[in-house]
Amino acid sequence: MSDSTILEVKDLQHIYMEKTPLEHQALSGVSLSVEEGESIAIIGNTGSGKSTLIQHFNGLMRPQRGEVTVEGQYLSDPKLDVKALRRKVGLVFQNPEDQIFEKLIGDDIAYGPLKMGLPLKEVRDRVKWAMELVGLSFEELKDRVTYALSGGQKRKVALAGVLALKPKILVLDEPTAGLDPRSRQELLDQIVRLNEKENMTVIFVSHNMEEVAYLAKRIYVLADGRNLIDGTPGDIFGNSEVLSKHHIGAPQTVEILAQLKARGYPVNLKAYEIETAAKEMVSVLQSFRR
Amino acid sequence: MREIASFEFELTRNITIGQYLPTGSLIHRMDPRIKLLAFTILVIAMAICDTYVGNIIALAFACYLFYMSRIPISYGLSGVKPAVPFILILAVLQLLFYSEIASGGTVFVDYGFILITSDSVRLVIVSALRFIEIIFLSSVLTLSTSTTQITHGIESLLRPLKHVKFPVHEFALIITIAIRFVPTFAMEMEKMMKAQASRGAEFGTGAWWRIIQRTKDVFPIIIPLFNVAMARAEDLVLAMESRCYTPGSERSIYTKYKAQNMDYMALLFCVLFTVLLLAFPFPY
Ligand SMILES: Nc1ncnc2c1ncn2[C@@H]1O[C@H](COP(=O)(O)OP(=O)(O)O)[C@@H](O)[C@H]1O
Ligand SMILES: [Mg+2]
Repeated sequence: MSDSTILEVKDLQHIYMEKTPLEHQALSGVSLSVEEGESIAIIGNTGSGKSTLIQHFNGLMRPQRGEVTVEGQYLSDPKLDVKALRRKVGLVFQNPEDQIFEKLIGDDIAYGPLKMGLPLKEVRDRVKWAMELVGLSFEELKDRVTYALSGGQKRKVALAGVLALKPKILVLDEPTAGLDPRSRQELLDQIVRLNEKENMTVIFVSHNMEEVAYLAKRIYVLADGRNLIDGTPGDIFGNSEVLSKHHIGAPQTVEILAQLKARGYPVNLKAYEIETAAKEMVSVLQSFRR
Repeated sequence: MREIASFEFELTRNITIGQYLPTGSLIHRMDPRIKLLAFTILVIAMAICDTYVGNIIALAFACYLFYMSRIPISYGLSGVKPAVPFILILAVLQLLFYSEIASGGTVFVDYGFILITSDSVRLVIVSALRFIEIIFLSSVLTLSTSTTQITHGIESLLRPLKHVKFPVHEFALIITIAIRFVPTFAMEMEKMMKAQASRGAEFGTGAWWRIIQRTKDVFPIIIPLFNVAMARAEDLVLAMESRCYTPGSERSIYTKYKAQNMDYMALLFCVLFTVLLLAFPFPY
């Protein structure tokens, strides 16, 4: 464990409804380690334990077996200050717009900071800061009613509600699921900005491989409650055997490159980014000219 | 600070209503109509029986039903747990204020308006036992019968009421939906509690006398839950309409139930048990 490790999971197991006839092992030995400022994607099929895993990061679930540490703090410690932990690790659930309950947008985003007992001035500043980070105009929208928003805007409000806690680690469960392409792209760009400009550590769960390729610096692949492989997007997407064996898709760029390779063209499968993949394709096309 | 179990938010764990636990036991395989009938008879017997011995026998029988249906008795106990405060409050009220109804027997305490007699003590203990027996019995029924079976059972038992224009089918449908949605809402509520806790909400931690504060604490869960309930109800309506559900039209069912000899024997046994429980002159 290096100095800059901010979150570490060691051999984590979780059994739902333990000691009942319905017990179900959702995690059976997951390990991962995240450095400060990284952007990590967790991928895997439905039911592979992704949501269960990330609920351990802010103490919603405590390790049954194994260990989770955040900045060196053991989450299995019964004396742990859970409130402080939840400020440090901001968790955004799937479909977070469901959790909006105040009438006015500003009030809803202010809920977390108010619960922290911050002075009103500070609360206001944080709401403004959070709204602007997600691309919502503070002056224009803070006194608007929440139920009149579009789906994409609601999701941004919910995200701002967590950002207002100023977390060091932002954890997102399928953040763009069910959004229209434009809202999706806006949200992705905001997450990139949070990671790069605000230096937040970002951990997100996603089924969309384009998104993973766009956002993640490193990927963990989960299957049946275990981590299968991890590595850079280049490593993972270049490993077509594991991907196809576990029915995990790849970005379209990788699929095209893999098709080219299968037809005997010398392309680099690790060039998953749009620009690099385009270069590979151009070089194939140029080989025809000669 | 209190010790937090790893299932702090596992609400679904404690909700046994609407959960079906298929173990394939004899009780699971009973004809749902007969099962409901037997259940009703037993509940009536337990509600009327007012002797110590009779209630202990009834409790033992309820426990035996868990064994027979191969359902762990912990399920029954977790159903009793949330009812304990009610049982206790009821017991205290009965002990203090029911002396007019149960004034017979030996007088233990006679102090001002408080009159505690052996009859009122019995009333208290028997009521508590009844509570537990009926919770156990309902747990066995719901855990061993799928909601579809319960609906069809209720529907065919109530069918005679159709002649007096009672909306039997609609009634059965409402019951199914209500039962079916209990675990769904428990899950939604669990998710909502977790989501709000992630932004700093706390539930049930303030001092109990700060009732307004504690009530306000639940708004962040109750309000979204209402929204979710509305959305779910709408989805359900759409799903039913898209499958051409028409209220009032005659519907056939996929599984035809046919009572076996076993079922009639079970029913007969329950009737005999009830007669014994109510008619036998137990000394206590
Ligand atoms: N509250 C729960 N009670 C029982 N089982 C659950 C619960 N939540 C999830 N599971 C089960 O645990 C497994 C992992 O679920 P989850 O972590 O939600 O997976 P993912 O997010 O990767 O789809 C699934 O098989 C799921 O059915
Ligand atoms: Mg999930």
